[in-house]
Amino acid sequence: MIFSKSKKSKQKFIACTENNKKYEFNKPKELFIKQGKENLPVEIITDKQGFVFIIWKKKKYLVDIIDKNQNQYEILVNGVSYYISVESPFSYKRRKYLNKNKKESKVEQIHAPMPGKIIEFLVEENQIIKEGEPLLILEAMKMQNEITSTIQGKINKINFHPDDTVMKDDILIEVEK
Amino acid sequence: MKKIKSILIANRGEIAIRISESAKKMGIKTFGIKTSKEPSAYYLQFMDEIIDFTEITNDIPEFLDIDRIIYSIKEFNINAVHPGYGYLAENPYFAQKCIDEKIIFIGPSPDSIYKLGNKTIAKQLAKSHKVPLLEGSEGNLRDTKHAKQLAKKIGYPVILKAASGGGGRGMRIVEKEEDIEKMLRIAQNEAEKVFADRSMFMEKYVRNPRHIEFQILADHYGNIIHLGERECSIQRKHQKLIEESPSIALNDELRAKMGESAINIAKASKYRNAGTVEFLLDELGDFYFMEMNTRIQVEHPVTEMVTGLDLVEWQIRIAQEEKLDIKQEDVKLTGWAIECRINAEDVQSGFTPYLGTIEKINFAKGKNNRFDTGVTEGSNVTGSFDSMLAKLICYGDTREKAINNSLLALNKLQIQGIKTTIPFCKAVLNHPKFKKGDISTSFILKDMKQLYYQEQDEEMIAAFWAALNHNVELDIEDETYVDYEKGKEMTPWLINKRLKSL
Amino acid sequence: MDINGKIYKNFLNRIDRFKIQNSPEKIKKQHSKGKLHARERIDLLFDKDSFEELDAFVTSATPDTGLGKIDEAFGDGVVIGHGRINGRLVYIFSQDFNVMGGSLGAVHAKKIMKVQDLALKVGAPIIGLIDSGGARIQEGVASLSGYTSIFHRNVQSSGVIPQISVILGPAAGGAVYSPALTDFVFMAKKTSYMFITGPNVVKEVLNEEVSFEELGGAEIHARKSGVANFIYEDEENALLGVKKLLSFFPSNNLENPPYIDSGTKSDEVIEKLRTLVPDDPYKPYDVKKVIELIIDQNTFFEVSELFAPNIVTGFARLNGKAIGIVANQPKVLAGVIDINSALKASRFVRFCDSFNIPLLTLEDVPGFLPGLDQEHRGIIKHGAKLLFAYSEATVPKITVILRKAYGGAFCVMNSKNIGGDYNFAWPTAEIAVMGPEGAVSILHKKELHNADDPNKLKKEYTSKYRQEIANPYIADEKGYIDEVIDPADTRKKLITAFESLENKHVEQPARKHGNIPL
Repeated sequence: MIFSKSKKSKQKFIACTENNKKYEFNKPKELFIKQGKENLPVEIITDKQGFVFIIWKKKKYLVDIIDKNQNQYEILVNGVSYYISVESPFSYKRRKYLNKNKKESKVEQIHAPMPGKIIEFLVEENQIIKEGEPLLILEAMKMQNEITSTIQGKINKINFHPDDTVMKDDILIEVEK
Repeated sequence: MKKIKSILIANRGEIAIRISESAKKMGIKTFGIKTSKEPSAYYLQFMDEIIDFTEITNDIPEFLDIDRIIYSIKEFNINAVHPGYGYLAENPYFAQKCIDEKIIFIGPSPDSIYKLGNKTIAKQLAKSHKVPLLEGSEGNLRDTKHAKQLAKKIGYPVILKAASGGGGRGMRIVEKEEDIEKMLRIAQNEAEKVFADRSMFMEKYVRNPRHIEFQILADHYGNIIHLGERECSIQRKHQKLIEESPSIALNDELRAKMGESAINIAKASKYRNAGTVEFLLDELGDFYFMEMNTRIQVEHPVTEMVTGLDLVEWQIRIAQEEKLDIKQEDVKLTGWAIECRINAEDVQSGFTPYLGTIEKINFAKGKNNRFDTGVTEGSNVTGSFDSMLAKLICYGDTREKAINNSLLALNKLQIQGIKTTIPFCKAVLNHPKFKKGDISTSFILKDMKQLYYQEQDEEMIAAFWAALNHNVELDIEDETYVDYEKGKEMTPWLINKRLKSL
Repeated sequence: MDINGKIYKNFLNRIDRFKIQNSPEKIKKQHSKGKLHARERIDLLFDKDSFEELDAFVTSATPDTGLGKIDEAFGDGVVIGHGRINGRLVYIFSQDFNVMGGSLGAVHAKKIMKVQDLALKVGAPIIGLIDSGGARIQEGVASLSGYTSIFHRNVQSSGVIPQISVILGPAAGGAVYSPALTDFVFMAKKTSYMFITGPNVVKEVLNEEVSFEELGGAEIHARKSGVANFIYEDEENALLGVKKLLSFFPSNNLENPPYIDSGTKSDEVIEKLRTLVPDDPYKPYDVKKVIELIIDQNTFFEVSELFAPNIVTGFARLNGKAIGIVANQPKVLAGVIDINSALKASRFVRFCDSFNIPLLTLEDVPGFLPGLDQEHRGIIKHGAKLLFAYSEATVPKITVILRKAYGGAFCVMNSKNIGGDYNFAWPTAEIAVMGPEGAVSILHKKELHNADDPNKLKKEYTSKYRQEIANPYIADEKGYIDEVIDPADTRKKLITAFESLENKHVEQPARKHGNIPL
């Protein structure tokens, strides 16, 4: 049985990275990380200011959860960010299955990397563009930032107008592959 | 001599704090400006008096509101104003207005600011004083056609720059003719936004150059010295990220030669106060004058560390017409200093600004390091200001030791709540080419495979931390006791009324 | 009974056949599609060993009538029953895609109706786990009649017991209307779809090429249509979400919501609240940060997070008791009210009112979104829905004006005159008929026209207006709000205020129902 009715015995967690690398942890609350066949202890310390450190194999790592949504975590370790999705054995299988069957999406969305004001669009709808080609100018922190295309394709849709204010992650432009 | 008794610091962040420190040392009273964008900013804690600019909201940012600043200086009977860097630091109109109103402007004369601030005039000045220059448009570009013709003559790549620009704004490199029209338009628009001036000039773009700049001090009596160089080759999109003094690329002979050129430029513009002459240095040891910054620079601390001088103090002393009593031969560069800029930027997504609140900050103060910060616990990082939070400056007897000390200090510098350039700085300082001193302004683009430093097991630690937290969260949910019975307890009043109404 | 005799053997045989139907292979088949089995889903949702199944053996096996033969299948593609979630009785039906594609025929429908009737009779929440290919074509009109009876029961139960739908597979055609009639819809990303007409029909009729995901995937319904209130990466988390949502609801409209001791202090002075809202009326901030500080720690459960994010709706606990929160979100579109945000908030307000969940409104709203698009699409009648919903709600209603409260939007956001029990304001509040800029242009039209520097003069007037007219003290002194409070005391004030309203009851005029401007 994959599931027991009480979640308390469900203690196997599979942490997946953005690149679908997986790390398995059995009962993480027991504070061990497995290396090869050996279980090496993890120590967690919180200093006076409240910074949290993990000590493993005599090395100290500063850890911080910077964002969390359901089972998706963005973790900073020594200031470097990692996107981790924590899966159960079943949801991991599901994820693998869905990734395998994922049809190449035809449309790529260009998101706003930061909140700001749109100064100018450098492309028009239906225009053919190359990868890395500048699409628009977004002003944030008094800097004009050039947003470039991540793929080659045709501009499908432009969702904003110059002078519009956009939020982080707003879909600015849709590019058809 | 005019003795300065009080200073209005017309700036914010770390530089406002830095200025206040020197002023305090000299027994000068400091006034700070409180703005509506950050009414509880950290720098205000360092001011003796605070002038409140939050009452009237205005379209002009507070630190650019000349009329209001002048009015306040008079209202509070303040002697002098220090503009820091950015904002009004290189505004000749403001400097002139100060003179008209009998306020001491801590900086050069309006005439010097104007001449050196306009790159076209500055280049003519350099040319007439035999300071080597890059080929370029010798004046502003007339139109796209002119730009195209000229670029063809000089040869691609060329660089477009805003005539009144600086700090990487209104600047674009053009690799080929097809791009020039578009790039010119982008650069002009940006220049208009930031400097209210669309005029652009063009010059030859040198590949793999080093950015070397010389710190100048000049008094009212024609005494001019240089305090050696700073190398600021580690830049991204013309924004400096790591600076050091001295530079491994210079020997005494070249240093003397470049220093002399720097002094010549200053002389030609009748310069006084602290200033910085920027050069490009190519692989053959040829150098070209770029521009002169007529203000205190962000990276001034590295010079202070190797010369033992307090540059802000000297700015104030010169402004009160003291004589510069240091001779060029007295200036000795001892040891090595490196500055890492700690910006609120997400290095992993292309250095995009990262907004948020600094929940916690911790740094280890040591004998060999200095931490100039404008933020503290609880400070907000908003889109209203540039992204620099702090500067970590470390010293060592040798370059190697300075690098090691920087790495040690970076490891002990902890910031929670936002993403910063700390992992980037570590990656640079750990890079074998950087360690050898083999760097250029295209170091980040060409030599760095990964822009942030990672320990071997970091990803696994992140995975573990996520799994552990998820485990704890699920258990808490599982153990939560929902008291449904309590929802059934009602007063007779309520239960009766509720029943009747249905 | 002779346990070696024929009678008992027959009994056991039947159970064996049932076991074969739910064999590990069948479960594996479902897993290979990235989905859980109907029974696994029930196990995840209910407390250990609490599920009692009903009608496990019914079947609609029939000989071929020309439309195809229906094989014997125990349960007819749906598992029904009751069990306990956090100790409380809940009814459930869970469609089994492995049995005839979870298709809905007469027997299948009857089973669903059975739990619907039971839930309504005993006053317990009902959950539907949807994973069905749609109507069973072989049964013809019988399955249509089945759907319709289910819809009717959804409507009968509406406002009496909480109804939750969890879409964990396809839901197409008429099948979508049952979830649409329930209170909340959950969806699992990538494996669940809802649409009236599928991609094939769209292609035939309109010659448009669309994918399942684009037409009716979880993301679309969460962001664009607003049909899905909650979306999750996977089924396990979705079911956990259902449990969490239920913990805010009473079992029926006579009870009060349950209580969770969240261990957060009730008399705390929260100084951070003083600095969260910028004085500058144009500066955005995240109202969710304000919410987090007021409520019991980590208890905010947002509803329809991705749809119309310019208004925030969600459940939370205040001193252990469930409340519903409606808050303008200055971070998105300055928190303006548009058609979508009005729809989202009014439905939320009506749910809370149905189930005795007190309402907290956090107001910072510049007004209604102007423009041709909004007016033509009927912002008048959609905005009126929000006004109607607030006005008819009789649960305890408290408003805190954080900053802007202008014009019609001020009236709509649970103002005193539509029945707000306590209306508080922070010192940063700006209450007036219209925003300073607009007001000044009208009030000082002549002066501005004749001025040498109209912009400068306008700024002066604006600043004067903001200080002298658009402050909370005038409204306070005239009694349009109850009190201007220190933001740091908000939590304390709200706890006391809601406590004092626990016995609130409003007599309503006798009527069948009001006529909300739909």
